Amino acid sequence: MSEREKLLKKVQVLDFAMTETALYLDTHPSCTAALEYYRTLLAEKKKAQESYECQFGPLVQTSAAEGDKWTWIQCPWPWETEE
Amino acid sequence: MWIYEKKLEFPVKIGKTDPATAQLIMSQLGGPDGELAASTRYLSQRYSMPWNEIKGTLTDVGTEELAHAEMIASIVHQLTKNMTPEQAKKSGFDKYFVDHTVGIYPVSAGGIPLDAKYIGVKGDVIADLNEDLAAEQKARVSYDNLLRLIDDPDIREPLKFLRAREIVHYQRFGEALRVAQENMDCRNFYAVNPSFDK
Repeated sequence: MSEREKLLKKVQVLDFAMTETALYLDTHPSCTAALEYYRTLLAEKKKAQESYECQFGPLVQTSAAEGDKWTWIQCPWPWETEE
Repeated sequence: MWIYEKKLEFPVKIGKTDPATAQLIMSQLGGPDGELAASTRYLSQRYSMPWNEIKGTLTDVGTEELAHAEMIASIVHQLTKNMTPEQAKKSGFDKYFVDHTVGIYPVSAGGIPLDAKYIGVKGDVIADLNEDLAAEQKARVSYDNLLRLIDDPDIREPLKFLRAREIVHYQRFGEALRVAQENMDCRNFYAVNPSFDK
């Protein structure tokens, strides 16, 4: 696994936990333990996303306009693998 | 509206070329119990839903299904991108190849294109949520069947992830149905359609 894939996996793991918790919260909106868990995940995910993006480029479009070039379109796209 | 995140929900990294397997997996994009039909079904059902828990569940499951469609498309793409005409002929992928080359076009494993008939929207909370519960189980069975036919661990891992999601979605839709029934007349859930009768 490349360094890029490792950092991306970290974001994917945290994002998945958030997706899962959000779905649970949709039918249990007053569960304080789930809310607290979601907030913890969100803080960790923000950090993981930042450390990925500063090395390997934007995961969301709002992170793509920071330098002197539009980095959104750079490779690889999600369906592409590193050769 | 929606915002794109430039990553898959779960990694897909397949090195080999295997158009025969790609053709089977394509059913989870364009087949009757595939991810595109699922996404459109849930996102379309939202509008007539009377309760917030159910609107939220349909929005979020429908959105996640779009991410699943992207995973299936990525698997098919990676299994076919380096395919030779000889491999297409030998595997039976040649019929798809004639019309779509190595593009991603939603068809079932048997070659039937995606059909709006797969998108159940009845405009009744009880009917629609029961449709969704069945849909998740049918999709789970399709993944079980794919896993019976496919040995390669690089292909099995994302399919196992997607299979597990069907089970979780089934659970959430079950809770959504419970929420609906708690809000309805417990002596006769069918007395009125809360999506229509005021």
